[in-house]
Amino acid sequence: MTTLGDALHASGVSRRAFLKFCTTLTSLMALPPGMAPAVAAALAQAKRPSVIWLSFQECTGCTESLTRSSSPTLENLILDLVSLDYHHTLMAASGFAAEEARAKAMKEFDGKYLLLVDGSIPTGDGGIYGAWGGESFMDILEQGVKGAAAVVAIGSCASYGGLPKANPNPTGARSVSDLVKDKPVINVPGCPPIAVVMTGVLAHYLTFGKIPELDAQLRPRAFYGETIHDRCYRRPFYDQGKFARTFDDEGARSGWCLYELGCKGPITHNACATVKWNAGTSFPIQSGHGCLGCSEPDFWDKGSFYKALSTTEWGDAKTLGAAAAVGIAAGAAAAYFGRKRQEKIEKEG
Amino acid sequence: MSGLDKIAVRVVDGADAPTGNVRALLHEIAGLAEAWARGGETACIDLRSLPLTRGDYAELDTALGAGAVSATVEAIGASHARESQYPGVWRVTHRNEAGEVVADLIEICEVPLILRAPTEDVIEGMIRLKEALQT
Repeated sequence: MTTLGDALHASGVSRRAFLKFCTTLTSLMALPPGMAPAVAAALAQAKRPSVIWLSFQECTGCTESLTRSSSPTLENLILDLVSLDYHHTLMAASGFAAEEARAKAMKEFDGKYLLLVDGSIPTGDGGIYGAWGGESFMDILEQGVKGAAAVVAIGSCASYGGLPKANPNPTGARSVSDLVKDKPVINVPGCPPIAVVMTGVLAHYLTFGKIPELDAQLRPRAFYGETIHDRCYRRPFYDQGKFARTFDDEGARSGWCLYELGCKGPITHNACATVKWNAGTSFPIQSGHGCLGCSEPDFWDKGSFYKALSTTEWGDAKTLGAAAAVGIAAGAAAAYFGRKRQEKIEKEG
Repeated sequence: MSGLDKIAVRVVDGADAPTGNVRALLHEIAGLAEAWARGGETACIDLRSLPLTRGDYAELDTALGAGAVSATVEAIGASHARESQYPGVWRVTHRNEAGEVVADLIEICEVPLILRAPTEDVIEGMIRLKEALQT
């Protein structure tokens, strides 16, 4: 089996370009930047994995986010090199031929393939609300999980149940981790997740040969370790107590902090503030709108998007009070903790 | 255009103003440069991991100034390595093919890694050269 390094070299990607790609990944994964050469060395030796992608109750936004990424050469370098053996939206085959491809990949790479899932799974009334080829989503997931090395839940629907699970949840939608208990599950939430974060999770798996360190929500700490607020370019205004109070006041025009307009940045763990969207053009806060918290569980059912955190159902007053109290020092503290974590990663090597 | 340009936008002075974070960053760079001078330990700071405004970036550019070396590497988009007025302190900016910044670093070292020829490339190049000489 050829390594990623050989395959990339054969397809005309220079070693400098590969190092650059790894520098980007290292930055994205919030690893110590000096680790880029080590990441490059590990990734170059990695084998091309088989990937089976199942789509359930979803809007295809996650696949759109991934495939419409504007700079395919760099960001999708790894994705081009995984063997995407089944993805019913993207594959040319359909009907029996497609299902045959799934069965074949599951058999050939038994115990080794990565199972990617986007969308939640309807479990109400015996799972009758979602099916293809006469099989329910519940059954298809169960079959897929059996031979998988690990399961990656792509997007907030697969990670937490997402909009299909929104109150009153008519289809009994559940997340992958609700149903899969005997295999490692990695959640990659976001509505949709950032393309390069999806690629990065795969790259991390390939680089280190194991699933990344996860937080309590099963999210890779590398990408979801810090809040939007920690990395927000408007953070200094928060620290200075400069807030926009309506969407067209002096504060809003001056680019001040959107906390009082309902920004959920302080409790939302994601990489939008650093990676941004649409070819790195912007992210919601940069366009003047607060963060909705789309990478956090049940964000859709937690009260108004436009009410300040302290008045919504995101946490008790004690937790949010503590978050606000660290305010002034936290700009520096976030950087400090980032460094601490980097040192820990370096030590554990 | 989409018509958005017809919406009157008033640009307020002071947006993206410097925050004072650059001074702290410069102290860190000075410390790392000292560590390098004493023990040859190279270091790297990921600028995108820090909360910096556009004003901060401008301030950083001014503070670092331009040194003797400026180099461009074409590798799926341009990468620029510019030595600052403080030798051994480099600003390395990686862009992708669309021109967007994908990594922005301060490196403290003799030569940034991206400028060095990878050993395998040198060997392959040497073989090609020898082959060329045989014809």
